Amino acid sequence: MRIDHVALLPGYAAATTAVLVLVLDLLFPGRRGVVLAGAAVGAAATAALAFGLALSGDEARFAFCGSACSFTVDGRAAALMGVFALVTLGVLGLSATTRAPMGEHCFLLACSMTGGVVLAGAADLITLIVALETLTLPLYVLVGLRRTLVSADAAVTFLVVSVVATAVSLLGAGLLYASTGAVHFGQMNAAAKDPSLRPLAVVGCVLLLGGLGFKVAAVPLHAWAPPTYDGAPLPVAAYLSTASKLGGVVALVYVSVEAVPFEHDVAVAALVVLALLTMTVGNLVALRQRRMVRLLAWSSIAQAGYILAALAVPDGGATALTYAVFFVALELAAFAAVVALRTPAPVEADARVLVPAGGAPAVPAAPAPQVIDDGGTLADYAGAARGAPWRSAALVLALAGLAGLPPGIAGLFAKVAVVRSLVDSDATWLAVIVALNAVVGLAYYVRAGAGLFAPAEPGTPVRWPRPHWTIAVTTALIALVALVIGFAPQIVFDAAAAR
Amino acid sequence: MNAVLVAVLVIPALGALASVVIRSDRAGRVAGTVAAALSLVAAALLAVDRAPATGDRLSPWHQVDVAWVPAVQLRFHVGVDGVSYPLVVLTALLTLLCCLYSLWQVPGERNGRQLVALLLVVEVGIVGVFLALDLILFFVFFELVLLPMYAIIAGWGGPERRAAARKFVLYTLFGSVILLVGLLVVVTGANTADLVTLTESSTLGANAQRIAFVLLAVGFAVKSPLWPLHTWLPDAHTEAPTVGSVILAGVLLKMGTYGLLRIGVGVAPDGARWASPVLAGLAVAAILVGGLVCLAQTELKRLIAYSSVGHMGFVLLGIATLTTTGFQAALIGNLAHGVITGLLFFLAGAIKDRAHTGDLGQLGGLRETAPVLAGLLGFAAIASLGLPGLAGFWGEAFAVVAAVQRGWPVAAVLAALGGALAAAYFLRLLRRATHGSAAPAVVGLSPLRRYELAAWVPLVLLAIALGLVPALALTPSAHPVRGLTAVTHAD
Amino acid sequence: MNVALAAAMPLAPLAAALVGFLLRSRRSAAALAITATSAALLAAVILALRFDKPVSDGYRAADFVDLTVEFGVRVNGPTTLMALAVGAVALAVQVYSVTYLRDDDRYAPYAAQVSLFTAAMMTVVVASDLVQLLIGWEVMGICSYLLIGHDRRLPEAPRAAVKAFLVTRVGDVGFLLGIAVLGYHAGTFRIDDVLAHDYTGAQLTAACLLLLAGVAGKSAQFPLHTWLPDAMAGPTPISALIHAATMVAAGVYVVTQLFPLFAQAPAALTVLAVMAAITMLLGALAAMAQADIKRVLAWSTVSQLGYMTGALAVKAPGTAMFHLLTHAAFKALLFLAAGAVIHAVGSNLISVTGGLRRSMPATFAATTIGLAALAGLPPFSGFWSKEAILAAAMDEGTGPGWLVYVAGAATVALTGWYATSLWLQVFLGRPRSPAADHAHEPGPAMRYPVLLLAVPAALLGFAGLAGGFVDRLGPGAEEVGHLSAALVVPLGLALAGAAVAWVMWRRGRAADVPARALLADAFHLDAVQAAVVSRPVSALAGAVRRADETAVDGAVLGTGAAALRSGTVLAGAHRAALPRAAGAALGGALLLGLAAILLEWVR
Repeated sequence: MRIDHVALLPGYAAATTAVLVLVLDLLFPGRRGVVLAGAAVGAAATAALAFGLALSGDEARFAFCGSACSFTVDGRAAALMGVFALVTLGVLGLSATTRAPMGEHCFLLACSMTGGVVLAGAADLITLIVALETLTLPLYVLVGLRRTLVSADAAVTFLVVSVVATAVSLLGAGLLYASTGAVHFGQMNAAAKDPSLRPLAVVGCVLLLGGLGFKVAAVPLHAWAPPTYDGAPLPVAAYLSTASKLGGVVALVYVSVEAVPFEHDVAVAALVVLALLTMTVGNLVALRQRRMVRLLAWSSIAQAGYILAALAVPDGGATALTYAVFFVALELAAFAAVVALRTPAPVEADARVLVPAGGAPAVPAAPAPQVIDDGGTLADYAGAARGAPWRSAALVLALAGLAGLPPGIAGLFAKVAVVRSLVDSDATWLAVIVALNAVVGLAYYVRAGAGLFAPAEPGTPVRWPRPHWTIAVTTALIALVALVIGFAPQIVFDAAAAR
Repeated sequence: MNAVLVAVLVIPALGALASVVIRSDRAGRVAGTVAAALSLVAAALLAVDRAPATGDRLSPWHQVDVAWVPAVQLRFHVGVDGVSYPLVVLTALLTLLCCLYSLWQVPGERNGRQLVALLLVVEVGIVGVFLALDLILFFVFFELVLLPMYAIIAGWGGPERRAAARKFVLYTLFGSVILLVGLLVVVTGANTADLVTLTESSTLGANAQRIAFVLLAVGFAVKSPLWPLHTWLPDAHTEAPTVGSVILAGVLLKMGTYGLLRIGVGVAPDGARWASPVLAGLAVAAILVGGLVCLAQTELKRLIAYSSVGHMGFVLLGIATLTTTGFQAALIGNLAHGVITGLLFFLAGAIKDRAHTGDLGQLGGLRETAPVLAGLLGFAAIASLGLPGLAGFWGEAFAVVAAVQRGWPVAAVLAALGGALAAAYFLRLLRRATHGSAAPAVVGLSPLRRYELAAWVPLVLLAIALGLVPALALTPSAHPVRGLTAVTHAD
Repeated sequence: MNVALAAAMPLAPLAAALVGFLLRSRRSAAALAITATSAALLAAVILALRFDKPVSDGYRAADFVDLTVEFGVRVNGPTTLMALAVGAVALAVQVYSVTYLRDDDRYAPYAAQVSLFTAAMMTVVVASDLVQLLIGWEVMGICSYLLIGHDRRLPEAPRAAVKAFLVTRVGDVGFLLGIAVLGYHAGTFRIDDVLAHDYTGAQLTAACLLLLAGVAGKSAQFPLHTWLPDAMAGPTPISALIHAATMVAAGVYVVTQLFPLFAQAPAALTVLAVMAAITMLLGALAAMAQADIKRVLAWSTVSQLGYMTGALAVKAPGTAMFHLLTHAAFKALLFLAAGAVIHAVGSNLISVTGGLRRSMPATFAATTIGLAALAGLPPFSGFWSKEAILAAAMDEGTGPGWLVYVAGAATVALTGWYATSLWLQVFLGRPRSPAADHAHEPGPAMRYPVLLLAVPAALLGFAGLAGGFVDRLGPGAEEVGHLSAALVVPLGLALAGAAVAWVMWRRGRAADVPARALLADAFHLDAVQAAVVSRPVSALAGAVRRADETAVDGAVLGTGAAALRSGTVLAGAHRAALPRAAGAALGGALLLGLAAILLEWVR
C-alpha cells in the first residue's frame, strides 16, 4: 500500500478546514465573521496547495496503490481540486449575510469541498461514488438550514430524488463490478473481455451514467433542481449550481472516458439521448420562468446538456471539463451579482426617492426592503441598471457569457469548443442542434438582462442599497475572473487537457 | 503601420470605455466622438506604405499575427487589403457621423454617452470583422456586434422597440450560430483557421466544401439579409433610432456580403460554384420582392428598409455570378448602399422627428415647407434608385452585366426590371412625400440644424464622388478580386 | 485641342449645374447658367469649324478586371452638328426662361437643372464609351423628371413627371441589357471597339432589339410614346428643350452613331420600320384632334420622330440626322412661339385664341415659318429633310422601305392638315376671347430667341445643298439636297391637306374632326397601358407585400410562438409534487436501462 502524501495535501487541507471551522465556532460563539474568515482561509489554502501541485511537475502522483491506485493526482486533477476550492471560497464570500447559522453553514461547505477535492483525484469507482456523496450529502442540510417552509420542502425533494439517483448509480456500479470484476478505471478496461457478460456491463454502465446524470441535473433526472435552487439560500443555490454540478461533470468524464470498458457506442447513444433531452427541455422551460433563480436553474440544466453533448463524442472529455469550468465561472458570477443585488446591507438605505410619473409628490423615503435573500422575480430587478450599475454590469456580463456572446467571451469560447469537438468527430447534426439551442437560450438571457434596464416603478429608492463589503468584493473578483479567463482561455484548455 | 492596424480596433474601444467612465454626459459624448474621429484618421492611414502584393490570392497591405487560443486554432490575425480597406473607412466614417449627430441629438435626451459608447463598440466589432484574417477571430467580432446593437435598438428606439430588438438579436444569432458550425466545418476540415492559407490553397474536399458553403451562406444570408431570411430587417429599422438605422444599414449588413465573398467564396470555391445558381435565384427574388413590397409600402423607414433588401439582392447577385465583374460590382455596391442608405435613414429620421409621422399618407408637400430637406431626400432617393453618375449605379448595372457574362440572361433581365421597380417606388415616395400641397403634418417644421447638415454633406459628396470616380473603390480591390476568381475558376 | 473643346461642351454646363444647385439669388443663377451654356455653344461652334477628321480619346474610369469602362470624347461629323443644335437650343431656352419664369421663386434650381440637362445631352453626344453614354442618357431622364414636375400649380405635373421617367426607364432596361450584351462580347464598352468587333448575327440582333427598347423610350416611339404628350405639364421652354434638340433626339442620334451594328441586323431594322410607321401616323392623327396648342405640337413631335426612325429603318442615318436638325430648329421655334401666345392669352387652349396676326406680328411670322417647315412646304427646312427621307425610303424599295414611304406620304397629308388648321385658328379670323383681344408681344428676351430660331427653321434646308454639310451628316445622306420628280406626290398631299383644313375653317368647323374623341385620346393607349402594366403591377405589389408579411414573416413569428408554447407545456409538466418527481427520476433511470438493453439486442 503505497501512499504519496503530497498527492493528498489538498484533501488534508480541505478536511482541516472543516475541523478548523468547528473549533472556531466553539471558541468564538456567535462571531460569524471569525468563522467565515477561518473557512475562507482554509479554502484559500486548499486552492493554493492544489494549484501548487498542478504547477509542481508533469508526472502524476499516486496514493492507495495496491495492484492499481485508487487516487491519482495529475495536472488536470490538481487543477480541478483548485477549482473546487476556489468555488467554495467564492460561495463563502457570498455568505456574509446569510441567515443560516454561520458555523454549520461553513462547516458543511468545507465538508462538501473536501468531497470535491477527493473526487477530482478518484481513480476507482468506489472512491468516485463515495467522494461524490461526500460532496452532495452536506448540501441536503445546507438547503434546509434556513428553516423556512420553502427550503424544507426543497431539501426533502432534493434528498428523496438524490437517494433514488444514488441507488441507481450504485446499482450500475455494482453491475459493472460484477461483469468486469474490477473497480479501478484502468483495470476495468483490461478485464472487460468476457462477451457473455457484455449486456450486464452495458446496462450497468448506462445506469451508472444515468445516476451520475442526476448530479448534473440531466433530463429526466432534473426535476429536483429548480425547486431546490429556488428554495435554498442564494449562496447555497450558487454552490449547488456550480460545485455540485462540476462534481457531476467530473464523475461523468471519469466514468465515460476512462472507466467504461467497451467501444463507446452504447454509452454514446445514452449520452446523446440525455444531451438532446437536457438541452432542449432545459431551454424551453427556461423560456417561461419568471423567477430569477428558477431561470438560472433551468438554464444550468440546458448548459449541462451541452456538456453531455461534448461527452458523447470520442475524447470530448477535455472539452466537457473546459466547458464546465467556464460555465462554473460565469454561473458563479451570475449568482454573485444576484446576491449582491438582492441582499441589502443592514438598514442604511439611500433616502432619495424617485418622483412618481405624473408629478405626484415624492413619497417619503422608503425603508430598506426587509431582507429576503432569495432571487425574486425578474420584475424585482427593474431599475437596477440605474440604481446599481456595476452590479448590473456584472450580471449582464455573466448572462451574456452564459448565452455565449461577447462581452462574456469565456462563454463564447466554451460554445466554440463544444461545437468544434462535435464537428470534428462528424456529429455536425448534433452541432447544429446545440447551435439552435443556443438561440433559444439567448431568448431568456436577453429577457433577464433587459429586466435590469426596465424603468423602476416610482417610489423605489433611486440608488439601490449597498451590499455587505465581502459580498461586493467577492462579486467584483468573480466577475473579474469570468472576464479575464475569456481573454486567456488557453489556461483552462491546457489544464483540462493536462495528464 | 501594423501599430495603426491595431489602433483602428483599440481607439474606439478606449473611446467607449472613456465615454462610459466619464461622469458628465456631455463630456462622455465628446470623448467618444473624439475617439471616433481618431479611429477614422487611423483607418485612412492604413492606405499608406502598403506591403507589395505577395501571393496572387490574398495579400494584405499590413497584418498582425499573434497566437491567442491554440486550442481552438484561434490566432489574433488581422490585416487589411483592397477589399476590406474601403469598408473599414466607411465604417469609421459613418460611426463618426453618428457620434457627431449624437453630440446634439439623442432620442429622449437620455444618457447619450452610453449611446455613443455602444456605437463605438459596434464599430470595433464591424471593423474587426473586416480586418479579421482568422475564421474564429472573425466569428468573435461577428458576435461582438450583436448585443450592443440590441441595446441601441431596445434602449433608444421607437414605441415597438422591445419586440423589434428581440427579433433582431434572436434572428441574427440564429444566423451566426449556423455560421459558426460552417466555420468550424472549414477549420476542422482544413485543420487551420487562417484565412490567407485557406484562400491560397483550399484543402477541403468537394463534399466538405458544399456543406461548409451552405452553412456559411445561410449564416451570412441572415445578416445581409437575403430573401427570405430578411424579415428581421424592416422591424429593426422601423424601430431603431436614426443613428442605429444608419449603422445597421450602412455597414452592419455589409458584414454578411463581405463574409460571403471573402470567406464563403474564398475558402469553399467549389461549394460556391455548386450553389451559385440557387444563390442567384434568391438574389433575384430579393430584388423583385423588395421592389414590389416597397411599391405597396406606406411607412417611410419601412420602405427604405425593404429597398435595402432589394439593393443587397443586387450585391448578392454580383457575388453569385463568381465573375470579377460581379465581385467588383458587389464591392462597390456595398459601399454605395452604405453611403446612400445611410443618408436616406438620416433624412427619414429628420423627417420623422419633425413631422412625428413616417406615414406617406400624412406626409406631402415637403418641398413647399422644407425645400432643402426635400431636395436632399430627392437626391438620396435618386441616388438610391441607381441613377447613372451616382454611386448606386455601378453596383447594380454591373451586377446585371455580370449576370449576362455568366450566361444567366433571365436573371439579368429580372434584375434589370428590379432596377426599374426601384425607380417606380422611389418616385412614388417622392411624389407622396415632397410634391403636392403641404400636408398638415409638415407645416411649420423646425429648420435644419447645422449639425444635421454636417452629418449629411459628407455622404452626399461621397455619393457623387463614387458615382463620377468609381475607380476610388474599384482600383484597390482589382487585385484581390482577380485572386478570388482565380480560385473559383480553378477548373 | 478638338478633344479639349469636345470635353468642354459637357463639363461647362455640368460645373454650372453643380454650383447652381447651391445658389439662391436668381440673378447670379441666370448669369451662371447663361454663361456656361454660351461657353458650351462657343466650344461647339469652334469645334464645328475646326473639325477635320474623327478623333477619340479617353481614360479608364472603372476597372472591373475583365471589363473596363472609359470616360472620354469621340468626335465625328454628326457629333459636331448635334452639339451645335444642342448648344443653340439650350442657350435659347436659358435666355427665354429668365423672362418666362420671372415670378417663380424656384428659378435658381430650375436653371441648374436645365444646365445639368444640357450637360447630360452633351455627354450623350460626345461619349466615347457606351456606359458613359448611358450615364448622360439617364441623367437626362431624371432632369426631365425634375423639370416636368417643376410647376407647382399644375396638379397633373408630378404625375406627368413620374410617367416620363418611368416609361423611359422601362425602355432603358432594354438599353442597359443591350449595352451589356455588346460590351460583354466585345470585352469593352468603347464605342469604336464595339463597332469594330465582329459579332455573330444572333448577338447583334439581340443587342440591337434591346437597344431599340431604350430608343423607343427616349425618342417616344410607339408603344413607349405615351409620356411625351403628358410632358407638356412642364414649363414651355422645357417642352422646347425636350422636343427639339435633347431627350427625344438622343434616341435617334444614338442609333445613327451605332448604325453599323443595326445595318447588320435586318430584323431590328424591320421592327424599327414598323415602329416608325405606326408612330408617325399615330402622332399625326392624334395631333389633328387636340384642343391644346402645346399638345398639338407634342403629338406632331411624336409623328416627326417617326420620320427620323423611319429614315434609320431604311438605312439612311444621315438623312435622319438631317431631319433631326431641321426639326430641332422649327420645333424649338414653334414651342417658344407657342409659349409667347400662351403667355399673351393666358391659356393653352386654341379656342381662346384667334386673330393674333395683328396683335403679335413677330410671333405670327415666326410661327408661320415654323408651321410651313413642319408641313414640309418648300423652301422651308422641313421640306428638304422630309423629301430626302421619302426618297431614301423609295430607293430602299424593300418591304420596310415601302411601309415607311406609304406611312410617310399619308402623314404628310395629315401634317399639312393640322399645321394649317392650327395656323388659321390661332392667328387668322376674329379674336375668340377678351384675352385674345388684348394680346401683345412678349418682352425682348422672349421675342429674340424666337426670331433667331426662325432663321435656321427657314433656311437650314439649303444647307443640304452644301457638300461639306452633307458629308458631316454621316453615311446614308445621299438623298439630301437631291430633288427628284417624285417629290410632287408628298408635296401634292401636303397641299391637299392644307386645302381641306382651309375649307373646314371657312365653314367654321375647323375643330370637328371625325372620331374626335378617339383621336384626341390617341386610341386610348394610355388606358391600355394602365390596364396592362400599371394596375397589374400595383396589384402584384400588394399581394407580394401581404405574402411577405403573413407567410415569410409569419413563419418566423410562428417558430417563436411554437417554442414558447412548448415551453409552457413542458413547464406545466414540471409542476409536480414530490412523489411524482421521485417517480420521474426512477422511471427515467429505468427507461435508460431498458433502452440500453434494447440497443444491446439490436446489435
